[in-house]
Order: sequence, then C-alpha cells, then structure tokens
Amino acid sequence: MTHPGELISAYLDGELSRAEIEQLLIHLDGCGRCAAEMQNMQVVRSAVRSLPLLELPARLVAEADADVVPLHRNRGFLVGAAAAVVALVIAIAAIVTPSAATVSLEELNSRYGARASLDPAFGPAKMVVPDLTELLE
Amino acid sequence: MTESVPLTWEEVARVYGRKIYNFAYRLTGNSDDASDLVQEVLLRVRRGLASYQPGSFEGWLWRITRNAFLDDVRRRNRRPTAPIPDEVDRWDLASAPAADVEYSRISIGDDVQKALLELPYEFREAVVLCDIVGLSYEEIARAVAVPVGTVRSRIHRGRKLLRESLT
Repeated sequence: MTHPGELISAYLDGELSRAEIEQLLIHLDGCGRCAAEMQNMQVVRSAVRSLPLLELPARLVAEADADVVPLHRNRGFLVGAAAAVVALVIAIAAIVTPSAATVSLEELNSRYGARASLDPAFGPAKMVVPDLTELLE
Repeated sequence: MTESVPLTWEEVARVYGRKIYNFAYRLTGNSDDASDLVQEVLLRVRRGLASYQPGSFEGWLWRITRNAFLDDVRRRNRRPTAPIPDEVDRWDLASAPAADVEYSRISIGDDVQKALLELPYEFREAVVLCDIVGLSYEEIARAVAVPVGTVRSRIHRGRKLLRESLT
C-alpha cells in the first residue's frame, strides 16, 4: 500500500483538497506508521513556527525612515535653488551695472530684501544694507 | 494571503521589511547578512516598482527576495547548500522515536535555527517561506518558479530532515 508521505505536511498546511483529506484520513486510521509521522510533522512544523519573529534592526529602520522623507529634502532643494537663482540674477546685475554708484539704495534693498525672504540663511537685510550705503557714499 | 499592491517603495519597506528580514535571517542565520539582503531587496523593489504590472505582488516580491539572496551567495562565491540527498524519503522506522518523546527533546530557538541551516537550500527556502513568511504553496511556487507539487515535496522532505536533526 502506498503511504501518503507528503500529503501529511500539505494537510497540516491546509493545502489539500477535500478528496485528498478524506483519502489521507482513511489511510491514517489503519496505518500507525503514518499516524506517528503525522504527529512528528506537526511537532516540527510547530517548532519552526514558534521561532520568534525578529524586529527589523534599528539601523535599517533609520535608513528606511531617512528614505521616507525625500519630500523634506526636496523642499530644502527648492529653497536652495531659488536662492541660487536670485544670487545669479544679482551677479548678472553686478556685471551689467557699470559701477556700484549707479545702483540706488532702494534697488539694492529690494534685491537683497527679496533674497532674504526666500533664503532664511541669508540673514536680515538690515545687516547688509548699511555697509552698502557706506560704499555708495 | 491578501493580494494588495503597495503604491510606494516606502509602503513596501514598512509592510514587508520585517518579513524580508526574518526570511533572510532564517536562511542565513546571522543578522548582518540578513540586513544586507533587506537593503538589496528594497533597492530592487524601488527600481522595479515603476515597471511592476498589477498581479501577484507577493510572488513578485519574494521572487526578487530569493533572487537577491542567491545573487549574494554567488557573489560571495560560496555554495548555498549541501546537495539534496537522495535518501531523504526513506522510511526509517527503527530509529524513529515516538512523537511525544521527540517533542520533549526539541528546544525551540537555537536548535531549530541550527537545524534549518543544515537543510539543503531548496528545502530550507520552502520551509521558511511556508512556516516563517506564511506563504501558501501556490505563492511559494510562483516565487521559486517550480510546480506546486515540487513545493509540497520540498516542504515535507525539509520537515523530515528537520525532525532527524532535532532528535
């Protein structure tokens, strides 16, 4: 008589059709060897399933989190890019302008004021403008 | 297992990161290799998500995971397993103790992990995907690209070898 063999594991895993289950149970009724095998497989299966589910190591969580925030990085990039564009405009203006004396204080103020409002790292306009005023004099 | 298609890489990392880590840890037995594998898998998922066609997400994900694992093993230039023994299905009644005796001898944890690592790769993979990850035979078959009958056989033969190691 053919022993069901791997049907035993598949039964424990809920992977048998109704017909296969019936076939297996009938066999187990009359076969002590397969009945013992069923118990053995049940024990082994439970042992593996009882292994603790490990936590993801902290460094992987941190790296995943770091990758979850590209939005913040993008925002920083946008501010930086805006500041760079403003700086470029100012540089071009400086080249095109024949001398500093021809630039009015109001113009400078509005340029640097605009930059300061876009780029918080640039610092308050008041800190910059007095020096420029001296230059113009 | 529910088939849902994560929309973003971050969701895949959040939902499956721990499962992938546990799969990798039980296959390799150490946390450094498992961590490296998780990183590699997430990288591949990130690259692959753009071209992912809705279907069996689990099958897709675990295929990527197992391929990453095997690539890593090849890269390290070491064999993943002992060859599959021919005699695994042999019944050995004389040496098979009663189930209740076996149960008392099996200590959960280190012994089981050690016994898993002694399994030929194909058996270890099938048992881990079934008992640790919780995939169905059908999902394992898709991930490993073998027929369901082969999965069934590998799991049973793997468990029989485990029983031998643990007693």
